[in-house]
Amino acid sequence: MAVKKYSSITPERTRDLLFEECGVQKQVENTLSGLFSSRGFSEVVTPSIEFLDVFQLKSSYIAPEKMYKMTDAKGRLVVLRPDSTIPIARLVSTRLKEYPLPIRLFYNQPVFSVNQSLSGRSDEVVQMGIEIIGSSSKRADLEVIVTAVEALSACDTSDFRLEIGHIGIFNTLIDRFSIGEEQAEEIRRLIEIKNYPALGDLLDNIDCGEGAQMLKKLPRLFGGEEIFDEAREAFGDAKINGILNYLRSIYEGLSELGLQDKITVDLGIVNRNDYYTGIVFRGYIEGFGETALSGGRYDNLYADFGQNLPATGFGINVDAVARAYLKQQGASQTVPKALIHGKPGYEMKALLTCREMSGNGDVVENSVFDSLEKARDYARQKGIPTLVIVGESLEQEAL
Amino acid sequence: MKPIRIALTKGRLEKDTVELFEKLGFHCEELHNKGRKLIFQVPDGNLEVVLAKAADVITYVEHGVCDVGVVGKDTIMEHGGSFFEVLDLGFGRCRFALCGPKGKDFYKGYAVKTIASKYPNVTRRFFAGKGMDVEIVKIEGSVELAPLLGLADGIVDIVETGSTLRENGLEVYEDVAPITARVIVNTASIKLRKQEIEQLLSKMEAAL
Repeated sequence: MAVKKYSSITPERTRDLLFEECGVQKQVENTLSGLFSSRGFSEVVTPSIEFLDVFQLKSSYIAPEKMYKMTDAKGRLVVLRPDSTIPIARLVSTRLKEYPLPIRLFYNQPVFSVNQSLSGRSDEVVQMGIEIIGSSSKRADLEVIVTAVEALSACDTSDFRLEIGHIGIFNTLIDRFSIGEEQAEEIRRLIEIKNYPALGDLLDNIDCGEGAQMLKKLPRLFGGEEIFDEAREAFGDAKINGILNYLRSIYEGLSELGLQDKITVDLGIVNRNDYYTGIVFRGYIEGFGETALSGGRYDNLYADFGQNLPATGFGINVDAVARAYLKQQGASQTVPKALIHGKPGYEMKALLTCREMSGNGDVVENSVFDSLEKARDYARQKGIPTLVIVGESLEQEAL
Repeated sequence: MKPIRIALTKGRLEKDTVELFEKLGFHCEELHNKGRKLIFQVPDGNLEVVLAKAADVITYVEHGVCDVGVVGKDTIMEHGGSFFEVLDLGFGRCRFALCGPKGKDFYKGYAVKTIASKYPNVTRRFFAGKGMDVEIVKIEGSVELAPLLGLADGIVDIVETGSTLRENGLEVYEDVAPITARVIVNTASIKLRKQEIEQLLSKMEAAL
């Protein structure tokens, strides 16, 4: 039969992981699982497929064309999960109703999204993250951010930054104008992409006076601690000052940990499809051109599942961290220390020798060749330094 | 210190940007004697310059292998992507316009119109904004040919002086969008290297 056209390639924007790529990825996953569980977060796993409805909520709407869709056996639309926080909200709202609050969870699972063709992005990305559900306290915000910083430093990438912002500032400013939803959305979009020229033109056309000047400044307000004073001067609004004080106290808390070099402030974080309602933050790592971590407070998501639960958390792109780490370390494949070859009649003894030697922490490989010659050739080819020949006694041969 | 890597769109925008750099007092010898090289050093600006086709400038910046890029608004509108668009350089000025045979009323009648363009995404968005269904045909070369040959009712294309249009009996029906050169910045770079990048941007802005 003829070979099928697509039988030997993977779908667009997916990839195989080999050897050290898997190794590094697992290493990152282990480091983060260790960190999260040591702080009292418990792991949950949600199904890879969920009903489409789960992602079409009031507080968070994910465009259907961004998701991999299928139908289940009854013809209902299901999708490959594009996010973990929303399924976890579903899980908590249905199965952990009586559970003592706050609920502290972590997850480690891939998310799927349809990216633009030829964009070089992967459609399947492993994400890990934590959620603290049922607490609106500042302590929860602080803990989540500190854990995010610890997660980034634990992964041992060469450099990283975590920036913090607050959705409330944009919302307060935009509420002052009597402009349509469409125009507000356009302003939000231009602030999000820091398109200074277009934002300026648009706001000049709307002519909303002093407020326009403030909105124009918003995307430029990112940097270090000085941003708080700049913003206070620029806005002079009681509600915004309250938000700024809150952000500042978080920032100062992080400075106590000696993290001021790693923490920046961006008051222009204004994502649309996010469920975030309060403090928001993002992490960047050297060698990865996009956001590697994102998180924040989301107090309205649970209302969509009939619960009144404030929540906060973050997710980290494990693939990005692993790739940055590989790029930086150039990790190489592990080669076994020895190949164990049993003479005819000593196959079982060879396997026992493998068990014994690997019990000491060494990596060894059992020879599956029938002749010693072939075993020796193979070991040379793979760069295995020692051949152990198992007969009545053990002979070591350096290669 | 690691230089800021900046991607310039080959051709006119490259020349205008290099001129701007020289106004800032940067020595751009390497960029005047290019040879076959693809990456150039501008040591006194601590810059590394990469020359690329317009759409590639966006790709390199999006992926963060270049921190900053100079690219036309036309390419940004057609190509899209996630990056920060921080500065309008003002040069490379032209516009997108809807054009067609002179003297015809483009919007007359209910038949679905066919539009030829090198910029299908810009065209689609323009007509979607009007709530109009049109058939879009992607053309790679001289788009002006399409209405002349009877393939299309109109074209959406970049218009500078309009002389090509006039010589072929075409005219501008309507402006779609103005175009100038823009500075774009990678979303992570602007956070990891804020000071250096902002310094460069404000110098460039001041010299315009």
